[in-house]
Amino acid sequence: MLEIEDLRVSYGSVEAVRGVSARASEGRVTLVLGANGAGKSTTLRAVAGLVPVRSGEVRLGGAPIVGRAPHRIVRDGLVLVPEGRRVFAPLTVEENLVLGGYTAPRAQAQQTMEHVYAMFPVLRERRRGAAGLLSGGEQQMLAFGRALMSSPRVMLLDEPSMGLAPAMVESVLGAVREMADSGIALLVVEQNAELGLEIADDVVVLARGEAVFHGSAAEARSHASVVRAFLGDAALTG
Amino acid sequence: MIAWYEANVVLIQSMFISLLLALSIQVPFRAGVFSLAGIGSYGIGAYTAAIVTLQLGWPPFAAIGAGMLLAAVIAYLLALVLARLSGLYLGMATIAYSLILSVAVINGGELTGGAQGLFGAVSDLQTGHVVAVAVAAVVLLALSERGRPGRWIDAVREDPELAVSVGVPVTAIRQLSFVVGGLLGACAGAMNTLLRTTVTPEEVGFHLVVLALTMIIVGGSRSWAGALIGAVVFTWLPTVLAFVGEWQTLVYGVVVAVAAIFVPTGILGLAQDFVRRLRRPALPGGRP
Repeated sequence: MLEIEDLRVSYGSVEAVRGVSARASEGRVTLVLGANGAGKSTTLRAVAGLVPVRSGEVRLGGAPIVGRAPHRIVRDGLVLVPEGRRVFAPLTVEENLVLGGYTAPRAQAQQTMEHVYAMFPVLRERRRGAAGLLSGGEQQMLAFGRALMSSPRVMLLDEPSMGLAPAMVESVLGAVREMADSGIALLVVEQNAELGLEIADDVVVLARGEAVFHGSAAEARSHASVVRAFLGDAALTG
Repeated sequence: MIAWYEANVVLIQSMFISLLLALSIQVPFRAGVFSLAGIGSYGIGAYTAAIVTLQLGWPPFAAIGAGMLLAAVIAYLLALVLARLSGLYLGMATIAYSLILSVAVINGGELTGGAQGLFGAVSDLQTGHVVAVAVAAVVLLALSERGRPGRWIDAVREDPELAVSVGVPVTAIRQLSFVVGGLLGACAGAMNTLLRTTVTPEEVGFHLVVLALTMIIVGGSRSWAGALIGAVVFTWLPTVLAFVGEWQTLVYGVVVAVAAIFVPTGILGLAQDFVRRLRRPALPGGRP
């Protein structure tokens, strides 16, 4: 569904992404692992059209999207959920969702909202409250819901569990799995490799702006360098 | 009533002109664009209307339209050039636009009448026309605060980058806010010139920046209603404050400072909070 080929992104003279290739397929979670500064967020932002691409190809359902305006890419069916569970704080929960659905036909948006409320009942309870008053986990669910409102074929999630309480991390990642199972292709940057691997189907590892590992989640678990870098030595021996 | 109207017709006219001027900066502010280009546009509108009336004999609405068109084109070009600036830098650059304009009209030779300005731009523009135009502008802007455009503009103000990720055409909305601000400012300037039949460089100078900001800060910048409150207050306040005489400027300064520090949402924000409290009494225990 989403194919990234030899993507390069520079900030001035600094090459932040140096030839990353990755793909995300329908109904699958592709986990992107990497240390700070490995180019994970930049890759997602470049795919979504928020930072200019220097070279390389990005195809969404076969059609090239590099150079398209970011709001058009959303219409094409690719939506980014930026890190830091950003919501429009002074707007109500429902207004946030409605905003996310403007790129879809009205009747479809109405239907999707019911689907989002069914998936995250807490959002229905709080629908008239300001989004800024939600807890961290609830805000992340609202960010997911808002992205779902555009009826995406591909979702890019940037650190969905960052800064959440441990109990919340599990339910947020559970929601990620649920979204994939509904047929969406997900590309997920996640710090918590251990929990991330539990819900992932495929794994890409980035280091210094390059992809250094491609494989299934099972292969990643047994791949020594992945284990050493992200799961700790305890996982090797245990 | 008729006697009161006739005695105050100049103030009534200036209230509606001030309303349009205040709206010319409230519109970009609402989209989170700190642009004062509406003030420079006021000067463009004021001089364009005078010039086409004097030299070409155009009827008033054609003269106003010419000013608005020219200001909108300039505002669009400014939006393209200044797109990368934000916050105070954008404010400074757009104030510079109005300052450069005042210098340009002083040095414009016969076309702009130099330091004396232009006289005798007589037209049959009436108070009723001004009121009708202002009401039309308010109705259109009120509509733009609802539904999809309203939420889009809120999103652009609150978090432009997030707005882009959600599929909001942020760049287009920002450019549009520049252009609409330019149209409103030029409309105010052109109508003011045609009502007074004259325009001078002082009239389009820096004091307009102060006046427009004062109205928006005290009235509230989130909605057209804030601009309306500001325009009403600062049209009639001087008549009430006549007794303070030469202290008037000081009183103004204090009013603006107090509003900016203690009531950042303006009188409009205070009124909205009050209404909200009336509707929904505080819950026992409350919320953090």
